[in-house]
Amino acid sequence: MLRLPRFQYHAPRSLTGALELASRHANEFMYIAGGTDLLPNMKHLLFEPPHLISLRGLRELDFIEVQGGGGIRIGALTTLTRIAESDLARRELPSLAQAAGLVAGPQIRNMGTLGGNVCLDTRCVYYNQTLFWRKALGYCLKKDGSQCHVVQSGKRCVAAHSADTVPALITLGAAVELQSPRGAREIRLEDFFSGDGVKNTVREADEIITAVRIPPQPRGRRANYTKVRIRNSIDFPILSIALAVDFREDGRTCDNVELVMTALGSKPRRIGNLHGVVEGRALTAEVIQAVAHQAHRQAHPLTNINVDPEWRREVAPVYVRRALERAVRAG
Amino acid sequence: MSKKLNEMPVSNPNKGRTFKVVGRQPRKPEGLKKVSGEALYTDDIVLPRMLHAKILRSIHAHARIRKIDASKALALPGVHAVVTGNDMPIAYGIIPWTQDEYPLCTDKTRFVGDGVAAVAAVDEDTANRALELIEVEYEVLPAVLSPEQAREHPEIKVNEKAKDGNLSKHVFLEFGDMEGGFARADVVDEDHFYFENTTHAPIEPHCAIGQYDRNGVLTVWSSTQVPHYLHRELARVLNLPQNRVRVIQPLVGGAFGGKSEPFDLEFCVAKLAMITGRPVKILYTREEVFYSHRGRHPMEMTYRTGATKDGKLTAIDAKITFDGGAYSSFGLVTAYYSGQLLTAPYQMPAYRFDSSRWFTNKPACGPKRGHGSVQPRFAFEVQLDKIAHRLNLDPIELRRRNFIGEYTETINGLRITSNGFLECLDAVEKASGWKERRGKLPFGKGLGVAGSMYISGTNYPIYPNEMPQSAVLVRLDRSGRAVIFCGASEIGQGVNAMLANILCEELGTALADVQVVSSDTDLTPIDLGAYSSRVTFMCGNACIDAARKLRKQILEACAEKLQTSPEDLDILPGEVVCLKDTAKRLSTPEAFQLAEAKSGSLAATGSFKTNPLGGDYRGGTIGASPAYSFTAHVAEVTVDPGAGFVTVDRIWIAHDCGKAINPILVEGQMEGSAYMGCAEAIMEAQTYNSKGMHIGPSLLDYRIPTSLDTPEMQSLIIESIDPEGPYGAKEAGEGPLHPSIPAVANAIFDAVGVRLTRLPFTPAVVLKALREKEERERRAAPAAAGGQ
Amino acid sequence: MKVVCTLRVNGEPHEIAIPPHWTLLEALRYELGLTGSKQGCDKGDCGACTVIVDGRPELSCLTLALGAEGRDVRTVEGLATPQGLHPLQDCFDLNGAAQCGFCTPGILMSAAALLEHNPSPTREEIKQALAGNLCRCTGYTKILDAVEQAAARLREARP
Ligand SMILES: Cc1cc2nc3c(=O)[nH]c(=O)nc-3n(C[C@H](O)[C@H](O)[C@H](O)COP(=O)(O)OP(=O)(O)OC[C@H]3O[C@@H](n4cnc5c(N)ncnc54)[C@H](O)[C@@H]3O)c2cc1C
Ligand code: SF4
Ligand code: FES
Ligand code: FES
Repeated sequence: MLRLPRFQYHAPRSLTGALELASRHANEFMYIAGGTDLLPNMKHLLFEPPHLISLRGLRELDFIEVQGGGGIRIGALTTLTRIAESDLARRELPSLAQAAGLVAGPQIRNMGTLGGNVCLDTRCVYYNQTLFWRKALGYCLKKDGSQCHVVQSGKRCVAAHSADTVPALITLGAAVELQSPRGAREIRLEDFFSGDGVKNTVREADEIITAVRIPPQPRGRRANYTKVRIRNSIDFPILSIALAVDFREDGRTCDNVELVMTALGSKPRRIGNLHGVVEGRALTAEVIQAVAHQAHRQAHPLTNINVDPEWRREVAPVYVRRALERAVRAG
Repeated sequence: MSKKLNEMPVSNPNKGRTFKVVGRQPRKPEGLKKVSGEALYTDDIVLPRMLHAKILRSIHAHARIRKIDASKALALPGVHAVVTGNDMPIAYGIIPWTQDEYPLCTDKTRFVGDGVAAVAAVDEDTANRALELIEVEYEVLPAVLSPEQAREHPEIKVNEKAKDGNLSKHVFLEFGDMEGGFARADVVDEDHFYFENTTHAPIEPHCAIGQYDRNGVLTVWSSTQVPHYLHRELARVLNLPQNRVRVIQPLVGGAFGGKSEPFDLEFCVAKLAMITGRPVKILYTREEVFYSHRGRHPMEMTYRTGATKDGKLTAIDAKITFDGGAYSSFGLVTAYYSGQLLTAPYQMPAYRFDSSRWFTNKPACGPKRGHGSVQPRFAFEVQLDKIAHRLNLDPIELRRRNFIGEYTETINGLRITSNGFLECLDAVEKASGWKERRGKLPFGKGLGVAGSMYISGTNYPIYPNEMPQSAVLVRLDRSGRAVIFCGASEIGQGVNAMLANILCEELGTALADVQVVSSDTDLTPIDLGAYSSRVTFMCGNACIDAARKLRKQILEACAEKLQTSPEDLDILPGEVVCLKDTAKRLSTPEAFQLAEAKSGSLAATGSFKTNPLGGDYRGGTIGASPAYSFTAHVAEVTVDPGAGFVTVDRIWIAHDCGKAINPILVEGQMEGSAYMGCAEAIMEAQTYNSKGMHIGPSLLDYRIPTSLDTPEMQSLIIESIDPEGPYGAKEAGEGPLHPSIPAVANAIFDAVGVRLTRLPFTPAVVLKALREKEERERRAAPAAAGGQ
Repeated sequence: MKVVCTLRVNGEPHEIAIPPHWTLLEALRYELGLTGSKQGCDKGDCGACTVIVDGRPELSCLTLALGAEGRDVRTVEGLATPQGLHPLQDCFDLNGAAQCGFCTPGILMSAAALLEHNPSPTREEIKQALAGNLCRCTGYTKILDAVEQAAARLREARP
């Protein structure tokens, strides 16, 4: 059996307790929530923190609530199952509920949390492997080595951002709330990712994500989430597409399209240059084609995921088109 | 053909029999243990003072071992022993003529993951830490990673056992008039096919425990499917007399051929137990399961097939090149099976095959469910579909026209007895609505058919000997309880249930009163193992043999008591009844007691041995089996033409298993087989990078289907009642896998008009084929206006 | 260094001494002798180790034993009562849904949790609920049949 490395375990009951422990064990610890990303990585000896601080006991971070202005806040310790099954999320944030419900398999969704999903380590065929395997390979930039096997001459790790909920949250304009021994801050989720596969978020090691805040959504917005994977369960995305389309009162004319794709490089990619294509138009076949074309131009799958990147690039516009058509039909 | 071989049975004693239990009892003796969590598998066993061991594996695909220094590891507190290749320098291998593996590499490592040293320590953590402390000095050698490289670089010798460069085995056999066959063909098709490497992936990782006692007896518990061969090899390699070795096989959590030869862990736990005097356990990590492999050989195949206008085959010419990996495993047999097992259910007037297995620096391939014949069957059944299409014949009709018949002999000398293939075709044709639906479904949806045959056991044991291939001991208690002792391996296929049903049928015992003690070389009589679909046929016959001896004793004793003759008595569940006067009855315990009083303690053995069979030429006995099973599938698929995804919606599986002793379990084998084939068709692939490393040795990266990826399946049991099988039974565990892959391929053609010849049919492959077809059509459009 | 870990398994309290890096699966199998839960993949990929924690199926190979303190853990050994088997167990046996039986304990726990939340699942819902449990033997058909049959029996038993 693959064994975990040794560590000391702490189970604080409150946020303050957790932050105190973080100060005490500075630079020597990691937080653990559901553990469904961290523990496999630790079994692969990618992380060997001397201390684990569990966030499970922080019941105050397990909630889905409507805020005064109509926005929705979701506690970082809320499980993916709870989000996927929540009536509120399904009604108000359908793309997020869909994304949460498509992560891994049922057991992992029962364990995995939203905070953990937002912080999911980047993934790569040359990285998510045992120590033995990586040693046989000669290691890589992201861990213990000096070379990237995906972009041979690359100076930067391009391991794939692979979290399902994140692209959906970005299209919805979400922000993360962080708390550290030094105080609290809030960052737009879009700005949370650095694009460096080795450490792909700007979160400081001792910062705890307490909640994800989703602002009130424009009326007339239709959002959906598409996850492409080889197997229909227990599979990370090999391409994922979050879409939010804002329609005017007439339900036909489009104001804006938010399109975020992931499972490409180290951060989710927002497909740009769409505003000019869609604003004030109905989503006709030509307009849809134009959006799909932008996705094709801007999305560049890599060999960090072991499914033919050329095929993934080729089908990206196909799935974008289908997502847009679904949004049109949902009217 | 020599006279002695292939004698046809003169009568069929199994025809027309009625049964009281057989065919009606769905449960199995160990069933409730399995659903309650009480069933014990090897890793569930914990012995007092047990140590845990780990194996250090090669990080190079090919390297000479210059030096191993284990002193630091040995000095680590908690470490009890370290062994290396030099401690066990005797080669082993499942096939006596090609023994080329060592428990741990002695001179060279031959693939990434090959075992180099093993450490026994107080716990796994300590053993792991010790592995890190072992210093191995390697001289890295150039590696050979494909059959082409193996052929082109004979100077890089992967395996010293190879006589000629890196060629592991070459078989060339020709039957009938090839030239004449092609000359009289109206159509000849030649195609190239590729079957990707796939593996068994049983959910239970391999595990073994060794114990060496004060009497000098070595006991090894192992999740093996061949305890007997393991017994022999342990004795040979460890230099122990065979009578000082005992092998116990607890329940096995899936095997599929992946546990059908000895592995490094079994020798290592044994040796380490002998050195330390304490029990030692090794449990593979999932990664190690992938390195132990022995899965499906990747094969490049060229088939040339001729047929007349009315679809009759005239000649078949096959050339097959396969990647064997670093060791021989069953490779000699695989090389034969790749050709020998194609010769039914269709009549072949002329047939030739030329198969070569090559050594490469990768984990060894071996026998996966449908050993050696699944790949050729895929190629051939796709080609048949193509020919049917060319001749504008219904593919089912084409198959019917070529039916070889029953009680006949194939062109390569295999004796065919019962053969329900036509009934299989009828059944899937009807159930799938073939006539009404094929070719009429909307673009993107399609139906495909394929057929196959498979062996019910190899006619000859792996090492030549005159003793039984299978034996059973039945002991009856005066309480009415019965115990069946049998060496057969329960690996989930249901052998315990099969044996118990036979006993219940013959002796009237209730299932709950039967215990099956299986696969313990001290307690149970021989069975050669759960491979080649041999168990039902061979153990089943052995069990009938034993049960009938007891039945005779029981009936004689009861006849005496009831003052009638044994012929007038029958055994029903729970009682013995006089047919002439049904008031005369005795309960099963009473009957047993009378028999015991009359003839002494009740026990009987039964055994089974095959008669000589096969073709009278070198290799002609490989592929010979006492009976053959036949299968036909229809698959229904949906192809997403935009992205290339293939969804297999449904598979209708008709299988001639001879007689279903336990229909639920037979259906389970049919469905499990079809599922596994379907998985090979659409998603499974075990591939290696340029360093010879497995690209994803985990159940996340090696994707096997979940409940959401598996088609709905309908099992249609066909009972041809074999004259020599137990009550007419043949096999059901491997045959039903074969047609699922070509049936899916043929259904994809029906759905979207592309012929896929390279596995697996991933969305990328499918989409590429669709784009190429569009391109072809675009080019041809002006010329073929009004064409198809 | 071992620490004391207090677990509640199948309704019974247990106090064990284990190293902190042990998973719940290891604690169950090698410390409490509850070997019904199986280990198939090491790291969350197969579902063989599924147990019910606070009413939901979770993976014991990705749960720290210490992380399960204060929670209600149920394993396959707790499925049957002294009165008899859980209908799921009987239906699995009757339908041949356990071939090698190695995936069975995990699948039973996923199925049991499903039926507790949804007494009348459709076949599709059953497939969804079992989509985190790999079975290599059955092709799932008989498992789905068994769950459907058990659901029907449970509904009859408590209308
Ligand atoms: C077989 C398998 C399949 C999977 N498939 C998918 C998939 O399809 N899609 C997908 O998105 N994910 C998948 N995952 C990954 C994982 O299950 C999910 O991403 C899950 O949401 C992670 O949440 P967690 O609570 O378990 O995170 P943990 O493992 O507990 O933590 C992950 C990381 O986040 C940090 N962290 C967690 N919570 C916080 C917090 N509140 N504040 C600060 N840091 C925090 C941890 O320190 C750690 O570095 C899969 C995992 C497995 C094992
Ligand atoms: S992208 Fe390159 S550096 Fe990053 S994990 Fe993969 S191989 Fe390593
Ligand atoms: S052992 Fe495979 S998921 Fe836990
Ligand atoms: S019954 Fe063997 S893995 Fe499911």
